[in-house]
Amino acid sequence: MNKFSIACAALLGATGLLAGPSFAQQEVKQEAKSTSGQAKVSPVTQAQLNAADKSTTNFLLTNGNYAQTRFYPAKQIDRDNVKNLHVAWIFQTDVKESLETSPIVVDGVMYVTTSFSHVYALDAKTGVQLWHYNHKMGLVTTYCCGPNNRGVQVLGDLVYLATLDAKLVALNAKTGDVVWKTDIADPELGYSETMAPTVIKDKVLIGTNGGEYGIRGFVKAYDAKTGKLIWTFNTIPENSVGVWATKDATGRDMHRNIQAEKDQLAKTGDPYQKLGGGVWQNPAIDLATNRIYFVVGNPSPDLDGSVRPGDNLYTNSLVSLDLDTGKYVCHLQYIAHDVWDLDAVSPTVLVDVKGKDGKTIPGVLHAGKTGHIYVHDRKDCSLIRFSEAMVPQENMWVLPTKEGARMLPGANGGVEWSPIATDPGQGLAYAINLHQPMTYQVENSPYPNGKLWLGGAFKAIPGEAQAGNITAVDYNTGKIKWQVKTPEPMIGGILATAGGLVFTGEGNGKFAAYNSSNGKELWNFRAGAGVNAPPSSYMVGGKQYIVVGAGGNTQVDFHRGNNIIAFSLN
Amino acid sequence: MRGKFSFGVCGIAALAALSIACITPLRAQSAQSIEQKTQVCAACHGADGKPADKTIPVIWGQQAGYLYIQLRDFKRGDRKSDIMQPIASSMERDEMQAIAEYLAQKPWPDLGQPRASKDVADRASNANRSIGCTGCHLDQFQGDGTIPRLAGQSREYLTKTIADFRSRARGNNPGMTDLMLATAPDDLAALEEYLSGL
Repeated sequence: MNKFSIACAALLGATGLLAGPSFAQQEVKQEAKSTSGQAKVSPVTQAQLNAADKSTTNFLLTNGNYAQTRFYPAKQIDRDNVKNLHVAWIFQTDVKESLETSPIVVDGVMYVTTSFSHVYALDAKTGVQLWHYNHKMGLVTTYCCGPNNRGVQVLGDLVYLATLDAKLVALNAKTGDVVWKTDIADPELGYSETMAPTVIKDKVLIGTNGGEYGIRGFVKAYDAKTGKLIWTFNTIPENSVGVWATKDATGRDMHRNIQAEKDQLAKTGDPYQKLGGGVWQNPAIDLATNRIYFVVGNPSPDLDGSVRPGDNLYTNSLVSLDLDTGKYVCHLQYIAHDVWDLDAVSPTVLVDVKGKDGKTIPGVLHAGKTGHIYVHDRKDCSLIRFSEAMVPQENMWVLPTKEGARMLPGANGGVEWSPIATDPGQGLAYAINLHQPMTYQVENSPYPNGKLWLGGAFKAIPGEAQAGNITAVDYNTGKIKWQVKTPEPMIGGILATAGGLVFTGEGNGKFAAYNSSNGKELWNFRAGAGVNAPPSSYMVGGKQYIVVGAGGNTQVDFHRGNNIIAFSLN
Repeated sequence: MRGKFSFGVCGIAALAALSIACITPLRAQSAQSIEQKTQVCAACHGADGKPADKTIPVIWGQQAGYLYIQLRDFKRGDRKSDIMQPIASSMERDEMQAIAEYLAQKPWPDLGQPRASKDVADRASNANRSIGCTGCHLDQFQGDGTIPRLAGQSREYLTKTIADFRSRARGNNPGMTDLMLATAPDDLAALEEYLSGL
């Protein structure tokens, strides 16, 4: 009973006393236990997940569907009426830190996450909180780029979350209670989790962060019902040397000193055990071939290649595996022996593309920190083409020096972890980019037992202007179709819809809709904190909503907030 | 903390406390309450959380993960200190973590350090923008997990430990060494003044 009820009860009691004993006071029954605290959701089936790309009501996977197209098929909100879009509700989380969550919506229930691995279930129509999971964080967390979390996935009646202290947690979708929990890796050695799990066919797939800490990266598959480990794919094979590639995937000389590397290899052996190779983002899944496609991040230490001879396989690569076994299928390395941290982070997308001979074939897209969108043949991972550069590229690939060498793009990209969106009908991919002029500086130090191991520093150059852009690329030609410049670097994500729109946000709090064919801005809203999270869309009660997190960003230091904001037409 | 460490009264007190700890039988030690176990810390780091010497860091209210990792590193010899290494060498992991959690619960003391001027704050802010301190130390420099709080830390300690990172005298975080070497001394001085005044 709260204070108000006590006061009321006292008043009622006094009134009864004054009225005398001739009336028998009726007992006032307390209300039945509120139904809030329960999310009324039906179990999510694998068939629903497989068809997520066609659902105009739910938003079931972090990037919309297993192909990760971020193309939402509802078109109630379109180019004509988007100007009427307004706030439907705002939910304020308890955590005011970087928000990178992709809201997941199941039967009118929304699941969002915040920094430090909190999960909220909300009524997607009203924004009312249904439950809150506040993860008890372990003493040791070791993470790069913010205490972020990029979301959950639901299968059956479980919600899957990976946490900053490197645990995999299954929650009851209705109540938020923990059903099972398992350790993924040791945070004291530099492992942490910020990505949303991908759940398919009773397997939970998860990568790892830690490329800045000398980990050995992996993708693991866990049994979705029990949390038992099924397979592990080490992103760094025991033979990580490769073919001594001297050029990157775009044919540019990387200025490697191959002889010095070979001498180092003879002296210290293959560096595979502490070579990094994190997997920051979700794999795309080809349901027809049962293969998964993901990208692997930078080698450790980031800038000092002298201690890690060889191509450092499979860092900075697209990799494909068999879903059932975790066995290697193919790879393509973008940058061998990277010493700039211009790695592969943004999630892969599966779409049909024009092959080299002009015939349409199953393809894979990846937007790199280099500022190119790479287009691959899904069969063997080979590169078909790469797009025009979406950001300035200068002095590539100058080697880092002790004093610092200037090169563009800066180490955040190009395209950072931000997922791209696509509109397969138009053959366009939409990417958000950073432009941050930096110097690359190298230092040498031995492996520091799970501590930050950069092998130098990348420094934003004071006085040089930073900026960003939204770029639409025709992935069948590699040409830029349109580009919108933004005043600040862009990080977060983007969503395309069948209404002919793309939605994305900026660090200055602007969230806007653009015509997906020509980039014309059609609507915007000021959120009051950086909109640096990927938007989602869904329908409840016949009404389409757009939802996005406005929590700013740690990595680029954009204004922090704690809002989840849903928009609708009326 | 070797070399430049200022022993003075604090060093003597610590050594005295240490010798008491060393001659206490092991069984009695394990039965010690956490308050008793952390008495040895108070000799240098302050009974009220304010360090006896300004080059000694505030540990009250510091992030527990960070405190644990430092104790672990002293024990391993990854971080050097003639005072801290003997203290940490007898500790087991659970004990270090319990001490770290206990100290983290204590209130952060106000050392009464002045706010930086606007010019200094601007310079610090630009330096942060260049190398991204808040990417790890987080908004308002409060730290988290194994990343320490810097806001309100003793200015003299910040100056000393940054210098030790640069000279590699403090060798237990080469990432910090790299970042400190990449930052101009004048910018570091501004950061030290700015952070201590938060």
